Amino acid sequence: MKLLAFIVSLCLLAGCAGTPAPPGAQVALDRLQQGVVPGTTTKAQLLAAFGPTKSVVFDSGFESWVYQSPAGGGQFSEFVVLINPAGVVTKTRTRPAALP
Amino acid sequence: MARQADRVILLLACLAGLPAPALAQSGQPATVTVQSTRDPVDKSYRKMIRGMERFERERAMAPNAPLRFQLLPRSPTVDMRGITLRVAGNTVSVSVPVAEDNSFVLPRNETALREDAAVLANRKTTSMTWRALIVTPGLPPGTRRLGDMRLECRVGVEAGLVSNSSPLFSWINEALTSPEQVCGSPNGNYLYFAERPIFAVRLRAGERVETLPFRMLYAGGEQSKTDLQYCDCQVMLDRTFYAPIWDASWPDDTLVEFEYMEDAP
Repeated sequence: MKLLAFIVSLCLLAGCAGTPAPPGAQVALDRLQQGVVPGTTTKAQLLAAFGPTKSVVFDSGFESWVYQSPAGGGQFSEFVVLINPAGVVTKTRTRPAALP
Repeated sequence: MARQADRVILLLACLAGLPAPALAQSGQPATVTVQSTRDPVDKSYRKMIRGMERFERERAMAPNAPLRFQLLPRSPTVDMRGITLRVAGNTVSVSVPVAEDNSFVLPRNETALREDAAVLANRKTTSMTWRALIVTPGLPPGTRRLGDMRLECRVGVEAGLVSNSSPLFSWINEALTSPEQVCGSPNGNYLYFAERPIFAVRLRAGERVETLPFRMLYAGGEQSKTDLQYCDCQVMLDRTFYAPIWDASWPDDTLVEFEYMEDAP
């Protein structure tokens, strides 16, 4: 019994709860790929359609946002959006799931 | 910061376990005379020479690349034009020419070595950061070579160039990290800076092409304003990335390709 308690304690300390989803709102990839158009989509539209997500704001006024798209098997694709200082999406890219 | 805290706790725990000879022998506290203190961001000439020696030992990672060092901005207000640099010892002062891109070659000087000289720039020490710069000539534009970057990490850490800590923690940090620990581990967190703000970073080795995950860009994307003051990526966050230098499945000849936020001016 003591051994079991010890193992459980170790698990709790080491984080045996499994791999958490990466930071960022989860949105289906096809919705993102169809709904975000570089040169057209604005930050406000992005927020309204997909909600807030993990982002980095730079001193230059640019922002980089990342959404996670479930790809099965606990894996996620990344959909990254670049927003310019005027609040317009200028670039997007998709990183497929199951890469290190 | 969490890793630094771990190290501090470890060190304090070790210190707590030590006997106290200073008081135990005579009942009087021992006196320690500190001759001088060096600003933790000043660069030690001896350490930088050790970095150059490591470059020579391990240059198989970058057989065609020369070694330079480079000064980079850390504070938002620093003027990076017209920087002058010198090696300063007790009796020796050696001027070091600085190129337009703020890179330089450190000359070898035996007197400076003996005198444990410092390498000093005519800027506030906390206003800039330093890196080794190892670039194989003839690479395609907008690319780096992974082997060059691996060696940059090893030389940079050996030379004591990176100062990402608060001054309080920097000496502890240096004492507990070796180039092998920093450059050989996914948790080493050695930061690289691209020439311009990046949107994506890809690795290419033959047919194998992979894009780095978001968490490897922009210093992990987790830095708060408070954290940033202790990161030498402070004013270059949009150029900052980690490279998988620890991952031996990527050969030294792997190309690291940058997609920038904006096209070249």
